[in-house]
Amino acid sequence: MIYSTELIKGTLKTIVLKLLADNKRMYGYEITQRVKELTFDKIQISEGALYPTLHALESEGLLVTELEYIGKRVRKYYSLSPSGKSKSKEKLSELADFIETMKLLLDLKVKTA
Amino acid sequence: MYCITDEQVDFILDDIRRNGIEMEDLQLNLLDHICCIIEQNLEADGDFEGFYRKTVQQFYKKELREIEAETIQLLTFKNYYAMRKTMIVSGLVSVMAFVTGSLFKWMHWPGAGVLLVLGIAIFSFLFLPLMLTLKIKESGSKRDKLVVTSATITGLLYCMACLFTIQHRPGANILWFSTVIVSFFVMIPIYFFTGIRRPEAKVNTIITSTMLVAATGFLFLMLNTRPSYKMHEVKMYSWLQSEQLLQRMQGANTDTDKLAADINSISMQIKSLVLQNAIGMPAMPDDFERQGIFMEEGNTGPAFMNAKSKGTRLIVELKEKIKQYNAQHTTTPIPVAHTALDAPDDMVGRYSNYTILNTITQLQLYVASAPHTLVATK
Repeated sequence: MIYSTELIKGTLKTIVLKLLADNKRMYGYEITQRVKELTFDKIQISEGALYPTLHALESEGLLVTELEYIGKRVRKYYSLSPSGKSKSKEKLSELADFIETMKLLLDLKVKTA
Repeated sequence: MYCITDEQVDFILDDIRRNGIEMEDLQLNLLDHICCIIEQNLEADGDFEGFYRKTVQQFYKKELREIEAETIQLLTFKNYYAMRKTMIVSGLVSVMAFVTGSLFKWMHWPGAGVLLVLGIAIFSFLFLPLMLTLKIKESGSKRDKLVVTSATITGLLYCMACLFTIQHRPGANILWFSTVIVSFFVMIPIYFFTGIRRPEAKVNTIITSTMLVAATGFLFLMLNTRPSYKMHEVKMYSWLQSEQLLQRMQGANTDTDKLAADINSISMQIKSLVLQNAIGMPAMPDDFERQGIFMEEGNTGPAFMNAKSKGTRLIVELKEKIKQYNAQHTTTPIPVAHTALDAPDDMVGRYSNYTILNTITQLQLYVASAPHTLVATK
């Protein structure tokens, strides 16, 4: 099952911040592949959603970038700025809390495997 | 594993640009992304162009441009909440400045002009543009955007007309007319025909449109009855010229008559009360044009409110002096019949500031022109 874009949209920022917190620096394609890998293909981030989010996070000062030349093309690496690091923690605990609340609200039985 | 050539990199970059991606950052990101996908997934002898087309198609729903639009949207509205807060605060501040400014103006306290201009400026250059931006973002259809835009333009015109009127700038009437025309022929029709199509908004639209038409009509009526800037100007200069004439004649007349001096002194006091109310100063300064001081026709204010008020008592005193004067100067009396000085004491407050000023200045002219200097010395 692949999740709907509505579900992913609200959590995309948190996903990106968490991945960068764990991996130091990443580029766009790498992020999409890593998410696919970690979720066994269940979450596939679309390019149309990822890049606008990356640019927004960068302009908010949460990400810093490095450019690297690969032949004729340029690869843009993203990593967390100091404020991005604290923001990623904040976002993560907010989402964890949200998940708990959703469980209560929707009376979900969470399988603990 | 496919190996992409430099020409192919150029080809992809060109294609991205042609499809409406203008931000360089985004171009670089997409180019690298597409290259990665092709390198990872295309066989070494695969069809580059065909695979590229298929890949890029997965990036969007209708057009590639969507990605850039989404990016701009996110960049512009990352401050959405800050903008909304600024809008609310600026709205409150401008309304408060306007209300206190109006009160100050009414009471002729200093600072009224600054407050009013500040209020209108904040409202029209901060509040209205912010409201327009946020409302356009919120409204889904093009028609809604049109309604908001036309309403904002009408609001801006209205504010500018107010500002010009307060500052007595020429062009205020043209602005008022533009406000009426835009409101009547652009904003109201757009609003009405947009709302009437929605069953749930039908009744509200009819009520609001009727009120808007009434308000615009009322504004139009006021505009017709409102004397033009020129008319006020003529009134003001007509009185000022009488004043100049008086000063010339007084300069030539070395008056020693005690009664005439009393009449002049009381007259000056009455005039300063009227001026204090009209322009907030006891006398019209010489450089009133440079200072932008302008006197509109209006009432004489609290000093002439009833028989006990200071101005009214001065007028009673003046009438008494004139009676004495006329008894002495039987050949050159001051005519009071059919003037404001002929009215019962409690009626004086009903005359306009210009009526009182002109009456007083004229009676001073009578005094200054009379040959009583000779009479007195004889």
